[in-house]
Amino acid sequence: MMKMNKLIGVIAAGALLSSSVYADSIGYITKSATNSGWMMINQGAADAAAEAGVDLITVGPTFQGDLSSQLEVFENLLAQGVNAIAIAPVDSSGIAPAVQDAMDSGVAVVAIDTGVTGAKVTSFVATDNYAVAKVQGAYAATLVNDGDAIIYVTGNQAQSTGQERRNGFTEAFKTARPNSEILEVPTEWNSAQAQEGVEAILNARDDVKMVANAWDGGTMGSKAAMENLGLSAGDVLLVGFDGATDAVEAMEAGWVHADTAQMLYQMGYQGIKTAVAASQGKEVSARIDTGFFLVTPSTAQAYKDLVGIK
Amino acid sequence: MTALRLQDKAITHLVSFFRKEWSGALLAILILSVAIEMVTSGKPFFHPTNLMTILNNSAAIGVVAGGMTLVILAAGIDLSVGAVMGMVAAVTGYIASYWGIPAWMAILCGLVLGGLIGALHGTLIAYLGMPAFIVTLAGLSVWRGSAHLSTGAQATPKLPSTFDLFGRYNPFSGIREQFQSGELTGVMETFGAFVDANWMGFFRTFQMSMIIFVVFFILLAVVVSNMRLGRYIYAIGSNEQGSRQAGINTRLYTLYAYVLCSMGAALGAMLFLGRAPYAKSDYGQMWELNAIAAVVIGGTSLFGGRGTIIGTFMGVVLIKLINNGLTLAQLETFWQMVVTGLIILVAVGIDIVRQSKSAIKVQQMLGVVAIVLALFAALTPLSALISSVISLHEHNSMMAMQNAGAKMVSYQYSRLLDESGVLNLHTIIADTWMLSLALLALVAGAVFAVIKLNKTLSYAMGVVFVLSALALIAADMAAAAPLLILGACAMTGLPAVPYMFDRARELDSANG
Repeated sequence: MMKMNKLIGVIAAGALLSSSVYADSIGYITKSATNSGWMMINQGAADAAAEAGVDLITVGPTFQGDLSSQLEVFENLLAQGVNAIAIAPVDSSGIAPAVQDAMDSGVAVVAIDTGVTGAKVTSFVATDNYAVAKVQGAYAATLVNDGDAIIYVTGNQAQSTGQERRNGFTEAFKTARPNSEILEVPTEWNSAQAQEGVEAILNARDDVKMVANAWDGGTMGSKAAMENLGLSAGDVLLVGFDGATDAVEAMEAGWVHADTAQMLYQMGYQGIKTAVAASQGKEVSARIDTGFFLVTPSTAQAYKDLVGIK
Repeated sequence: MTALRLQDKAITHLVSFFRKEWSGALLAILILSVAIEMVTSGKPFFHPTNLMTILNNSAAIGVVAGGMTLVILAAGIDLSVGAVMGMVAAVTGYIASYWGIPAWMAILCGLVLGGLIGALHGTLIAYLGMPAFIVTLAGLSVWRGSAHLSTGAQATPKLPSTFDLFGRYNPFSGIREQFQSGELTGVMETFGAFVDANWMGFFRTFQMSMIIFVVFFILLAVVVSNMRLGRYIYAIGSNEQGSRQAGINTRLYTLYAYVLCSMGAALGAMLFLGRAPYAKSDYGQMWELNAIAAVVIGGTSLFGGRGTIIGTFMGVVLIKLINNGLTLAQLETFWQMVVTGLIILVAVGIDIVRQSKSAIKVQQMLGVVAIVLALFAALTPLSALISSVISLHEHNSMMAMQNAGAKMVSYQYSRLLDESGVLNLHTIIADTWMLSLALLALVAGAVFAVIKLNKTLSYAMGVVFVLSALALIAADMAAAAPLLILGACAMTGLPAVPYMFDRARELDSANG
């Protein structure tokens, strides 16, 4: 009898759950809920869903870069019967088979920030990381002389985002400054790794003029490394990527000299807008470039006004 | 006669060195340091400021690993240290930034919070009998989640300068500034001038992180080896039931171990904040694994009861040395991962052979070293050969797939080569295959010699190693020749091992 009661309870709960997603619902699988850049993307996604009047089921992985939990979440959302899924893949090719299944069964899939390799998606909404990194590299080159050594703090080199940013930066910088040495500090998007590596190199070599970073967590880590060695703002130039609030503030204090900002809020906002449109059967563009903003000390105020940093 | 006495003395020293639990870690540190120094031409690895930078960056994880050592010595485990460190760092930074209380109060609150968490873990484990693995695994999730919840997972503004006292504060910076502004007189002026002159060469990285790290480990080592707490923890770790029957309050001392471990994590958080840009709740991810690795590399047994604090110190320094050295050497990212794992294996391998106390095991170990050295030397021509053969094969199969009409994304075609590329590969293959095969034969010979462990064979292989080294130099690959010379030393040293063991036993019994 007890067992029977439990069974009924489970069925009732299941029915409740499925009826709650009966309204238009969009699944949103984010890469991180704690990274400051991702929090801006997530905010954009939430605002777009509220505007469109749909349920947004947001799920994040337990830690950044965990493919297996992302696959599980993806299948759960499909089973719940969401109308569309917006996903920021932690692994471009690892997620492909699951995306293929969803697309085959008629659920629209919108990739945000990171693309999917090996399966077609309804739309890919992102900054063109490679193109923006080229701008970052070309602008960074104007800040140093040919022959000056610089440090580049990489992102995770097993992910397309990390690879594209590194390749874009290196190519553009090397073209403009062919005799400069680029020392690399490898990280997995971890600012403590950036701080430690930059500290080691800056301490060992006094000919390094600039530290360029693949993301702004690295920029803040590099700034801490400079402070740990007793350097002041401007002794070594910092160049960032993301346009995160703390990096823009550090720019006003004279530490950071350039930052290629992704329009992070827009990425989340446009991503969910596109997912909603696709789920309603509307035609959507297969590639939406959310653009970028080159933040320098002279354009910092304009950027802050644009994205609403006070 | 004196030569014999000298030899006996050397053997005694060698034996007493390898009786130490931390000899594996120290040996790995020394080998690695020399290797990095050789690779990083022009960039000073053995520079005092670089060595101090390594210590500065070891401080936070080191203190965490120090606490972990106590728990592991008591045959427990604490998987929550990374999460506890992250939570204490986030909460301390949060209340110092937003609650308007003095920074030292916030720091005190953080340390107390760490102690309370440890008391909770310890009570569940020691008094309710829950498995330590499960309790702290749950803790890993609970404390990380609580940290995100309580601070909104947002970074704080830059922390008050009180936190610098746990990190980047340099006790000599004040003297230097006073000297530069001409406020010093007499002896102090001379001292100030000395500090200023040697600032970039020495004092620049003489920071609180390092000082606290070293002092903490000295205190902990004294506590563990001289006080009741330490002796009881060893006793509980080697035989809990026996300890209880001997009248030790095993539950209370197990509880103490977990409290100290979590407080170590809390202190680690302060040391980390002293060097970090701000406080944030995602600090300390995966630190539990690094801390456990440091403890095990330092020769402490995961089953408890055996190990030392100084070993953990060496383990932490080894891990950070790998990071620092490989960054300075600018080794490629993916190779760094491979090399890091291999070095840890070597350190633990030395430890296991050391424990076996058998001459044959040591001979085999030495033999494996010679084999690996020969293999590395063989890789110089062999890697060029193999990668050329693979590239050629990939090129051919891509051509075949393309002819069969397969569709691929543009970058997947990057494996296709042009005509000159194919020709180039053919020349590399023609140039390297003979030397590669010869060196592989050398590796096979070394393996045979190690299996047989025959005196004449070992000496003969030593000679072959030297001859191969000469062949490498003749073939314009002189860089790999030192590997073979070292290998020759290892090979010819093989027969000496049993003699040294016998002699050490004789000396031992002679000394009573």
